[in-house]
Amino acid sequence: MYTSSEAVEKLISRLSRLPGIGRKSAARLAFHILKLSPGEAGELADAIKEVKEKVGWCSICCNISETDPCPTCSDPRRRREIICVVEEAADAAAVDKAEGFNGLFHVLGGRLSPLDGIGPDDLRIKELLVRLTGVTEIIIATNPNVEGEATATYLSRLLKPMGIRVTRIARGLPVGADLEYADSATLARALEGRQEY
Amino acid sequence: MLIDHLRTSDFRNLSSLDIAFSPGANVFYGDNGSGKTNLLEALFVLCLGRSQRRAQDQVLVRNDCEVFRLVGKVRYNGRSQELTVAYQRGGKKKVELDGAPIRIVELFERHCVVAAGPEDSEIFSGPPSVRREFIDLYLSQYSRTYLEDLRHYYRALAQKNAALKREMDSTPFDALLARHGSRVMKARAEFTDALKKPAVGHYHTISGGEHLDLAYQPSIPFNPAGSIGEIESLVVQSLDAIRKREAIVGSSLIGPHRDDLAFRIMGQPAKTHGSQGQWRTAAISLKLALYDLLRRKRGVAPVLLLDEIFAELDTKRSHELINLFGGFDQLFLTTALEPPEPLRKGGCRYRIASGTVQEIH
Repeated sequence: MYTSSEAVEKLISRLSRLPGIGRKSAARLAFHILKLSPGEAGELADAIKEVKEKVGWCSICCNISETDPCPTCSDPRRRREIICVVEEAADAAAVDKAEGFNGLFHVLGGRLSPLDGIGPDDLRIKELLVRLTGVTEIIIATNPNVEGEATATYLSRLLKPMGIRVTRIARGLPVGADLEYADSATLARALEGRQEY
Repeated sequence: MLIDHLRTSDFRNLSSLDIAFSPGANVFYGDNGSGKTNLLEALFVLCLGRSQRRAQDQVLVRNDCEVFRLVGKVRYNGRSQELTVAYQRGGKKKVELDGAPIRIVELFERHCVVAAGPEDSEIFSGPPSVRREFIDLYLSQYSRTYLEDLRHYYRALAQKNAALKREMDSTPFDALLARHGSRVMKARAEFTDALKKPAVGHYHTISGGEHLDLAYQPSIPFNPAGSIGEIESLVVQSLDAIRKREAIVGSSLIGPHRDDLAFRIMGQPAKTHGSQGQWRTAAISLKLALYDLLRRKRGVAPVLLLDEIFAELDTKRSHELINLFGGFDQLFLTTALEPPEPLRKGGCRYRIASGTVQEIH
C-alpha cells in the first residue's frame, strides 16, 4: 500500500519500525492519526517527546525512572537487604504488581545471548555488584528460557562466592490453570519442583 | 486420529489438491514424478509440521510461489477439527487448529505417524546427522518431554557456539547443555534399547535368517542405567574437561549433537558392507518396530505412510509385509504397480498424475 503523501509515507515507515508493528498495522495507525483532531495528534506527539525528555534511568537499580534515585530505591518502607534481579523494566513492574515482594529491584537491561552479541559486559552487572553491601538475598527472576537460565547461572556463580544467598523463582504450573491443559514440559518441571505438603 | 480430508496449495508440485480419504487403506497409483511421494510428504508435514525427507521448509514451497498451505480435516476421538500448516518464504511456519495457533510440540502430542520410503536408505548410507534426525523424529512422538529437551539443548548449543566464536564466556550455557543433554541421552539410550529387539526380529523374518544389530553410540559414553542426576554430572565433568580445546577450536565438540547409531548387518558395518536391498529391508524392519512401539506407548495405531515399499518385493513378501503392519487404522500407500491382495479390498484407490488426483471407483 503506497500513498501519494510523502508525510504519510514517512509516518508509516517510522511506525513500522516499532516492535510488533508490520507495515499493514503501521498504515492503519497512520490513517487513524490522520483522522485525529490537531489537539489529539499534538497530545500524542507531546507524550512521545515528554517520555524521552523526562524518563531516564535510576543510577542504583537501572530501572526506568523520572527521578534519580527512582521512587522504589528511595522508598524507606522497602526491605533493602533483598534484591530481585530482572531482565527488563517491564519485568520489574510485573513482579512489583504481584505484591508478594517488598524488596528492591535490579534491571539488567537484557539477558546473555551471544547469538545477538550480548555478553556479560553488555548487561548492568557491574551496577549490581556495587550495591551488595548489606544485601542478604538475591532473587533471580530472569525468564525461564535458555538465555534467562544462562544469565541466572552466570549471576549465581558470581554472587554465591560472596556469601550472598542466591535464589531462583520457581517454575511450574500457573495459578488457576487446569492440569489437563498444561503442556507436558511444564508439568514435568512442576513435578520435579514438587514440595512437601 | 484419522485424516478425512486434505487440501493443498503450492506444496511442491501439488498446486491445488482437494482429496477426501477413507479410514483403512488409501492407495495411490501413479508413475514416477507424478506427485505420489509429495502427497505423502504433505500428510507428514500436516501431522508433524516437518518433512520426513529432511527437506527444508523453503524447498516445500512450489517453484515461483511464496506460500504453501496444507489444510486437513482431522478426527480426534470422533471429533472433527481443521488443522492448517502454512509457510511463507522467509517467514515462520504457522500451525493452526480450528483457526487458533498451536505450537509444533502440540502436533507431536496429538499425532502419531510412521513413514517409510526410498529415502530411508540414507539412515544407513548417510552421515550421523541423518540417524540423529531419524531417532529424534520418532522419539519425539514416543516421549512427551523429549522434544522440549531437544529444543532447549539445541538453543543452548547455538548460544554456546556463538559465544565460543565471539570469544565470550560460554560456560553459563554448559549447565543447560548438561541438564537437557542428559535427558536427551538417557531417552535415546532407552529408546534404542526398546527398538532393538523387535527391529532385529523383523529383519530376521523378512530377510530369511539374516542378522541385524543396532547400538546407540553416544558422544559422551555413559551408563544408561544411571539416574538423570548421575548422567548430568558426568556431562558437566566431560564439558569441563574439554573446555580448553573447545575454546581453541571455537565450537562445541561433545554432546548429544555428536551422537550416532551404529548398524551392523551380518556382523559388518551396514554403511560400508550393506547392499541397497539390505538397507531397504533394515529400514522396513525399523519402521515396523517403531510402529509397534508407538502403538503400544500411545494406545492408538500410528498413521502409516508407505512410499513404494513393495517396489522390489515379490507378491509373497509384500503379502507378509503388509500382514506384519496389520491392525492399522489408516494407511496411505503409493505404488506404481498393483498393491498386494490384502490392500485391494476396502478403502479407497486413487490415480495420481502430474499433481492431480482422481478417485478410482
